[in-house]
Amino acid sequence: MGILIKNGVVYDPAQGIYGEKMDISIDGDKIVEDVSSPERVIDAEGRLVVPGGVELHSHIAGGKVNAGRIMRPEDGRKGRAPRGRLTRACSGFSILNTFSTGYTYARMGYTTTFEAAMPPLLARHTHEEFEDMPITDKGALVLLDNNWMTMEYVKAGDLDRLAAYVSWMFGATKAYGIKIVNPGGVEAWGWGKNCSINDPVPHFDVTPKEIIRALAKVNEELKLPHSIHIHCNDLGHPGNFETTLETYEAVKDITASSDRQVMHATHTQFHAYGGSSWKDFESKADAIADYVNKNDHITIDLGAVMFCDTTTMTADGPMEYSLHTLSRRKWSNHDVELETGSGIIPVAYSPKVPVNAIQWAVGIELALLIEDPWKVVLTTDHPNGCPFTFYPEIIALLMSKPKREEMLKGVSDAVGRRALIATIDRELTWGEIITMTRSAPAKILGLSESKGTLRVGADADVAIYDIMPESFDPAKGYREIEEKLMRTFYTVKGGEVVVKDGEIVATPPGRTYWVNPVGERAHAMREEMLKDLEAKFDAYYTVSMANYPVQDEYLSHPLEIRAG
Amino acid sequence: MATETVTDVICPLCGSLCDDIEVIVEAGRITNVKKACPLGKSKIMGHGRIRAPMVREGGELREVSYDVAIERSAEILSDAKRPLLYGWSSLICEAQRKGVELAEEIGALIDNTASVCHGPTVIGVQGKGSPGCTLGEVKNRADLVVFWGCNPAEAHPRHRARYSHAAKGFFRPGGKKDRKVYVVDVRETKTAKVADEFIRVEPGYDYMVFSALRTILAGHEDVVPDTVGGVEKSKLIEMVDAMKSCEFGIIFGGMGLTHSRGRYKNLENVISLVDELNAHTKFTLMPMRGHYNVTGSGHTFAWLTGYPFAVDFSRGYAWYNPGETAANDVLLRGEVDAMMAIAADPGAHFPGESLRHMAKIPLIQIDPYPNPTTELADVVIPSAISGVEVAGTAYRMDGVPIRTRKIVDTDYLSDEEILERILTRVRELRR
Amino acid sequence: MAKITLTMRSSITVPLEAEVITPDGLAGKSEEEIKSLTVYHGNREMKLGDFFDVSVEGSGDPASTEIIMKGDLTRVKRIGEGMTAGSIVIEGSCDMHCGALMRGGKITVKGDADAWAGREMRGGELVIEGNAGNYLGAGYRGEMTGMRGGKITVEGDAGDYIGEHMAGGEILVKGNVGILPGLSMTGGRIIIEGSATMPGGEMTKGEIIVKGEVYDMLPGFRFEGEEEIEGKRFRKHTGDLAVRGVGKGVLLLG
Ligand code: SF4
Ligand SMILES: [Zn+2]
Repeated sequence: MGILIKNGVVYDPAQGIYGEKMDISIDGDKIVEDVSSPERVIDAEGRLVVPGGVELHSHIAGGKVNAGRIMRPEDGRKGRAPRGRLTRACSGFSILNTFSTGYTYARMGYTTTFEAAMPPLLARHTHEEFEDMPITDKGALVLLDNNWMTMEYVKAGDLDRLAAYVSWMFGATKAYGIKIVNPGGVEAWGWGKNCSINDPVPHFDVTPKEIIRALAKVNEELKLPHSIHIHCNDLGHPGNFETTLETYEAVKDITASSDRQVMHATHTQFHAYGGSSWKDFESKADAIADYVNKNDHITIDLGAVMFCDTTTMTADGPMEYSLHTLSRRKWSNHDVELETGSGIIPVAYSPKVPVNAIQWAVGIELALLIEDPWKVVLTTDHPNGCPFTFYPEIIALLMSKPKREEMLKGVSDAVGRRALIATIDRELTWGEIITMTRSAPAKILGLSESKGTLRVGADADVAIYDIMPESFDPAKGYREIEEKLMRTFYTVKGGEVVVKDGEIVATPPGRTYWVNPVGERAHAMREEMLKDLEAKFDAYYTVSMANYPVQDEYLSHPLEIRAG
Repeated sequence: MATETVTDVICPLCGSLCDDIEVIVEAGRITNVKKACPLGKSKIMGHGRIRAPMVREGGELREVSYDVAIERSAEILSDAKRPLLYGWSSLICEAQRKGVELAEEIGALIDNTASVCHGPTVIGVQGKGSPGCTLGEVKNRADLVVFWGCNPAEAHPRHRARYSHAAKGFFRPGGKKDRKVYVVDVRETKTAKVADEFIRVEPGYDYMVFSALRTILAGHEDVVPDTVGGVEKSKLIEMVDAMKSCEFGIIFGGMGLTHSRGRYKNLENVISLVDELNAHTKFTLMPMRGHYNVTGSGHTFAWLTGYPFAVDFSRGYAWYNPGETAANDVLLRGEVDAMMAIAADPGAHFPGESLRHMAKIPLIQIDPYPNPTTELADVVIPSAISGVEVAGTAYRMDGVPIRTRKIVDTDYLSDEEILERILTRVRELRR
Repeated sequence: MAKITLTMRSSITVPLEAEVITPDGLAGKSEEEIKSLTVYHGNREMKLGDFFDVSVEGSGDPASTEIIMKGDLTRVKRIGEGMTAGSIVIEGSCDMHCGALMRGGKITVKGDADAWAGREMRGGELVIEGNAGNYLGAGYRGEMTGMRGGKITVEGDAGDYIGEHMAGGEILVKGNVGILPGLSMTGGRIIIEGSATMPGGEMTKGEIIVKGEVYDMLPGFRFEGEEEIEGKRFRKHTGDLAVRGVGKGVLLLG
């Protein structure tokens, strides 16, 4: 029974293993001490053996992603592939169909993928798409910040009912964590307006900062595995790094309920800008990195930009509209009653456009300037910065100064003047890359027991790349990194070989993680809260409360985590 | 006999997808329906069903078992070079997903009823985007509602009361009193009669009227002629002022736009109008979708294939190009050599030339009810009624997914089961 | 010089997709090699030789290769797609997407060409001696750019939405066209010798000349006076001002 992977050069930062030649044993769907008579022996022959990749912030499933697919048939035609013996037909370059999403992540060695923004009212849609997304384990972060219930409780200072509401919503939407997106700004967008961190939200009379603090406190009181996960106010605005730092500082005094951050700040590249207009727009990656280096309550992910024609999509409706007024291609928007919104536009990042070139630099700079790889996760905020299929090239940029120098030759010279990338010599090691793509995101999500590690008892999710770390020089071999990280030698998911030689060989369904807050705090004020909620449904929602919660039928492979 | 009232039932008729219906069930039969409009009530109460599966022999439909009908369907589909699977709007997403799997397996064209209703809206979205919102945003915020080329008073009877015209919302506690309603149409519809303003446009001139409104909005009213599409310039200016000065506006677009000259270009033009209005205030747009789950079929097709309708799998991958790959494109050219019509009635809605071709080729119908398509069909497979006898997902016109309920039991197979069995047989036959 | 003759043996109703038929795809190949190339008939993968008689005279690179197509080609799609050099002569009418994505060389259609002829064309020349369908020289669904370069000439009439999103190159239609020619045009030139309906909707740059009747002139154009071209007087308009007032396309009406 089981699988033995022998002669691998293993990186498992969670166990302090950095390039040791060792065997990995799998029995059933778990990593085990050893396996006596393995059914299958994979001889890695010195190849790179690492835990399956963990994607903690990606837009892969749900109403907004699908609206993107519908809006962009021209994107669909780019990634097309016919059905195969085991695989369904594929489409999409920046917005992949669900099948292609699962296959592509798996081929790249990723086995866990989290959808970053699920509107509660449309949660059923996200879960339906998950059902058609093969292989990876999945979970979704639910948007709770522009929510009328939340804002009213914050205004009343009633964290008891807020805790009850948040925990009810986790069950109703089958969510994994709390997502905050431009708090207050999206509600203001209901009137075509926006908010910065200290502006009172129209009518609700609370500030974004108050919303953030309240949700952070409730998150810790409920002992949720993940912290609050925030897309700060003022995304994309020149000079927004100050808002970003103020957001980080706002939760500094809150104590985490477990050994992790108090706030995960996402796609930080889009929030690390200086200047006062597009003309003097500049990188403030150093200021952000400096804060993160000095403080332990914050983790970030990159949201790196690479040059391509991609799609931006976020719950941040006002940001998408203002971005749209710059490019004027096409624009979709979908405000969701009492809860949130979303916007989508196509974006072409061009190396010749100074602002785009600086955005590209900022993403890379953040990864290089933050010292501790446990605090920074590789993401592209797929597909906002670029599709996740650019990870191999981004890793090449992080590991190879020559690669950066080559790329710098083709970008606007504004990068030399208003960004830092050219001055940085650091080249990340495999240990750091594996941390940023596996161990750190698993820990940040609160999944470090089962994901992002090859420790005994962890899920048997393993990626083997056709790279010999003992004899390979990443700085020189960056082209090989780009090629070899695109398709694994093997991907094992839950103890099953799903990719061999870069081809899909099995398509198990994957599970859906959700968190069920069961503690005292979750239930104390539930009755009172439900009365408030019923009133909201009766008067203002357009669906009845009985039809709102996502039924069990939508999670055919659920994995419930009880919190509290 | 036990009488049971099932509450919060979802009406499986129109895109309003009302979810507050009460159904009275006595001894396993539906005896009354409350809160629904007459259209919804009649759908839920049910009417003449197809009794049993049938296969046409010697010109006559003869009753057979499910097995025989499924076997015959599988043979037809696996032999075909250019099969078309059409319909998919009056059933649940679970069945649509199975349908896409079948289409991939046999290299078929799969198309939903959007291709004869809001397909042009979808193509318009692909040109310009979709500045929209959920219906609750309209109910709670809208102070200006424009019904353009649609007539909810007759086609979506509860829409105005629940969501738009008269609905009382958080920022609009007075309902009707707090909002202004325009109807723009080629004739004075029932909805026009209850609106605050009715603007009559000459048939086929919507595109030009949108262009005029946009030109005025851009500050160039001086170049606009005195009347455009039968509407006086002063009226157009007044309308632009009303749209610019509202707090939250919405245009509901109907088939009057999608089926008049310019078709999807009308939609592109109005989408741009709405887009440009957002420089002044909050403005949104929503298509008035007809069938209760046509929105869902667009969604399921899109996440599965990348495209919302008119998908051609003949080369193994999905190719989308309405004008080439939509149901009537291929029927009018006589390309199709086998067809399945599921949960739709092309027999009543397709042009004569398409029907003549349908009569020539093997046609499979899957539907709870007999309809004009039945008369052309070679295989007829009755199915359970989604949303009454089977539970499953439907997407409201604004993209809100709701799980429809199962109210009563049935002996009929569900659409999903029928498709699954055809798929299994097709796979065996192709091996 | 090479001359390759492809003769369709019989008429078909299920269309054939044959994007392999370009000088680039056939040059230097033997009759047998050409016959064994893949074409798609509905959901079946077939060989070119299943439908066509093939004869090859001489040999050469794509630029010196001429393909002559005979027989009933009304259901053959994508002829000349993406070609970069050489020539194709279609002795009759052909189906959709003829010359789509073309970059160079020349296609002559002796009969009619169905919709999307010259779609997303970048260079070369497409001559249609009969009529053209809708979307001549237009883009693909959702794409913001249609034809960018090259020249299309139609001796007869053309359908609706010709030159949609056109960004460069030239389209000359000697007959009439349908509705909304030059829609959302951003460059290039369309000359219509016959009539047109609602020309230039949402155009922001480029030029449309209509020598015949114009039906339903759009309301967002500004009359700029008369202009003389090759001895003929034209009324010059600019627009479409409906596009946030920034439309600077030129519409010349004869
Ligand atoms: S308005 Fe539509 S959904 Fe509502 S009850 Fe009537 S038919 Fe059913
Ligand atoms: Zn994101």
